Amino acid sequence: MASSKIASKSSAKNSLIPIAEFIIQEGKRLGATECDVRISTSNSVDTGVRLGEVETLEGARSRGLQFEAYVGKKSASTSTSDLRRPALTELVRNTIAMANASEEDPFAGLPEAKYLAKEIPDLGLTDGAIAKISTEKKIQMALAAESAARGFDKRITNSRGASFTDWSGTTVYANSHGFIGTYSSTHCSISAAVVASQDDQMQVGGWSSGALSFSKLESPEEVGITAAKRALRMLGAKKVKSQVVPVVFDPLMAAQLLAQFVGATAGSHVYRNSSFLAGKIDQMVASKFVTIVDDPLMIGGLGSRPYDGEGLPALRRTLVENGKLNTYLLSSYSARKLSTTPNSGSTGNLYFEPGSLSQQEIIASVGTGLFLTSVSGPGFNVVTGDYSRGASGLWIENGELTFPVEGITIAGNMLEMFNNIDAIGNDLIFRSSTVSPTIKIASMMVAGD
Amino acid sequence: MIIETAENAMQKLFGLTAEQVQRVLDTATRGEQGKKQGVFCDIYFQAGTAQGLTFDQGVLKNTSSSTTSGAGVRVVVGDKTGYSHTGHVNATNLMQCAKVARAITEHASGSANVALDATNSVGHNLYPVLNSPVDIALQEKIDLLRKIDKEVRLYDPRIQNVTVTIACESYTIIIVNSLEQIFADVRPLVRISVSCLAEENGRKETGSSGGGGRFEFSVLAEDKMWQEHAHIAAKMAIDLLASTPAPAGVMDVVLGSGWPGVLIHEAVGHGLEGDFNRMGTSAFSSLMGEAVASPLVTVIDDGTMADRRGSLNFDDEGTATGRTVLIENGVLKNYLQDKKNAGLMKAGVTGNGRRQDYRYAPIPRMTNTFMAGGESTPDEIIASVKYGLYAANFGGGQVDITNGNFTFSAVGAYLIENGKITRTVKGATLIGNGPKALHNVTMVGNDLSLDRGIGTCGKAGQGVPVGVGMPTIRINGVTVGGSQ
Repeated sequence: MASSKIASKSSAKNSLIPIAEFIIQEGKRLGATECDVRISTSNSVDTGVRLGEVETLEGARSRGLQFEAYVGKKSASTSTSDLRRPALTELVRNTIAMANASEEDPFAGLPEAKYLAKEIPDLGLTDGAIAKISTEKKIQMALAAESAARGFDKRITNSRGASFTDWSGTTVYANSHGFIGTYSSTHCSISAAVVASQDDQMQVGGWSSGALSFSKLESPEEVGITAAKRALRMLGAKKVKSQVVPVVFDPLMAAQLLAQFVGATAGSHVYRNSSFLAGKIDQMVASKFVTIVDDPLMIGGLGSRPYDGEGLPALRRTLVENGKLNTYLLSSYSARKLSTTPNSGSTGNLYFEPGSLSQQEIIASVGTGLFLTSVSGPGFNVVTGDYSRGASGLWIENGELTFPVEGITIAGNMLEMFNNIDAIGNDLIFRSSTVSPTIKIASMMVAGD
Repeated sequence: MIIETAENAMQKLFGLTAEQVQRVLDTATRGEQGKKQGVFCDIYFQAGTAQGLTFDQGVLKNTSSSTTSGAGVRVVVGDKTGYSHTGHVNATNLMQCAKVARAITEHASGSANVALDATNSVGHNLYPVLNSPVDIALQEKIDLLRKIDKEVRLYDPRIQNVTVTIACESYTIIIVNSLEQIFADVRPLVRISVSCLAEENGRKETGSSGGGGRFEFSVLAEDKMWQEHAHIAAKMAIDLLASTPAPAGVMDVVLGSGWPGVLIHEAVGHGLEGDFNRMGTSAFSSLMGEAVASPLVTVIDDGTMADRRGSLNFDDEGTATGRTVLIENGVLKNYLQDKKNAGLMKAGVTGNGRRQDYRYAPIPRMTNTFMAGGESTPDEIIASVKYGLYAANFGGGQVDITNGNFTFSAVGAYLIENGKITRTVKGATLIGNGPKALHNVTMVGNDLSLDRGIGTCGKAGQGVPVGVGMPTIRINGVTVGGSQ
């Protein structure tokens, strides 16, 4: 059994570690054959303005603990926000009683000790500058974002408000194999949403910039102006006739599509045979332009983490390489179900490897088609890959954006859609944990009038 | 169950005396120069447990329990809100929350005084559950999971995987405010969810069903209740094995009764919530008193229906829930309000101020929202369609409040040709525009039913349990997002 007590330097004085050690010790003492615990604490402040005045101020300190106990192959998990020691002993006792009253799952258990992370890299996930920003400064930034949006064009007639939000948190994971890891992270964001009106139509447009460090945020003015432009460009939106056309996914829409596709590689779908990607390892599941990377180790990345939720190491991996499916996302449970080794059931920073074309060049390559900027509704079936969603965006004629469209749907099958990706942009920006450049799907069914 | 002695509950669950809580309220409402006019404060206490069991691929996979004990302090002045919460309730932490929430009063402008509803509402007694569902022995729940699993598999040998979950919760809610009011309630909620996968010649399809409400666990365990869910889920998966791609384009659509009421929730419900209309950002904002639907359409939000998932004895501000007619014979009549938005719009409260849990300030939300029944029989409605879609099973939906565009997602449907159902088609997204779509309702059935109790509505990051309902209806000219 490996004993890997490891903590990154910055959080060595973390007060959660003794709590984690205590609860694991209690777990063993009270009869758990294996157990683990996750504890997290966070501070957050949300500063909201609307129409030039402060509207909401919210501040909170949160904490939570989740404990899972195994008694042989029986298990149970409990969570609480009460971290006092007598309450924790009671929690451990109750969890073990629940596990005993439960039933055996032959695949239940912690990851084997040999698979756990051996070191915890410092990924630069905190920025001390955020905690020093005064409330007044946060209000000023939110006001500046809204003001930039409202002042951008006289057709911006109303506002849903703007906000500055900041968050800092620390998490600990420990298990009865002796693993204990901890790290801290920070986050801040500026967002704005405004309403543009013309004739009888109103359109809302929003934009948000988020980062782990304050210096990486877009300026309030940039956020506001982007929100205004997004609202304005939808004014006059109408339906188009039903037709089969190429669809260009803007980076936000492409990132959503990527998240849905990669969701189908989750081990839990694969062992249930309930994924359109089940049984497709080493097969082509996308066009040769498509390479999908998961990298949890990026310094300062919005999805970065030094180990995953069950203590498995963070590793950069190529999920799809030039169209070929390399691997599934395997938690220890999924890996046991599939008789293979775990590689982490979750992703860190997930992205399409960028191509060489600019967004403009991709749009210019389309005769008639849709530039997709928004989708709505669930509309995706992970078992069959069938995809059908409400859509809006801008209509492309002769390689140029012409008028806005709404009230239409786009439909296809995810496997066919990925095989039909025939252009990938060079405009990849790591603005979130799942990101994409602009992509083009050669043909999809658009339903309208 | 309404607790008669709310103060006793506060002492028992949180160890707080009435005096300690009063000091928190005083601190929250008192500015630097003593008590300010027009400052409202409430404290929302929540304590209880949620429990979940998942039976997957023939074994009990997850048994989990989550204990909540927390409080949120809200300060409202005019249209401004300060909020802070703690998951560790004691007098010191509550006082800290009060100081954080009070900071909003420093930003109040002079004209901000708005009187909030101070009615001492008497709550209902809609869910007098004797045995907390959380306290029912695990073995009873495991036995039920196993029976459901077996029932789904027995339906057809092509059923491969079955996943069944039971979710039970019971929370005690205590609300105290600066209007010297105190409210307490115990809110039980139970639910079964069933999903399965059918496979034939390499083709796979899924089916699902589920239901529950604010009632005894024993009701959930009654044979007819769980057998219905098992059969619906299995039938859906098996039917879809024979489905062909859905058509794309504009056609006449018949929506089944019950859960397809998600149409009402998305197309009009959200757009009639008070906050969007106060701000003027809803597509319905300027349409009060106008015809927004065909005269056949009457839409009601009713939080007072016994046992229902979306019902509450009072809302999360202590206002007794009500029955609010939103659209009457096609004409827009009312919005859904919480205290703040009702005060600002000089409208009456409707008992729709809700929150996900103690971590969130309340906002206007739906309870059980449905279209009233009409005259036609379901058979007449289907027979009236020359070529169209009959959609009886839905996933979820979504709406853009501001432009009114809504989508909702059929999980498989049936093609109607010359008044007869001819074949099963795959799922597709249906899209429309809120203030326009319901003008095209041409027939309303006499078979109003509510959903079986599975809905959770998301807004501003908060999920709350809701109900939806509808009779069978016909809508002409709906855009269907199929692939053919």
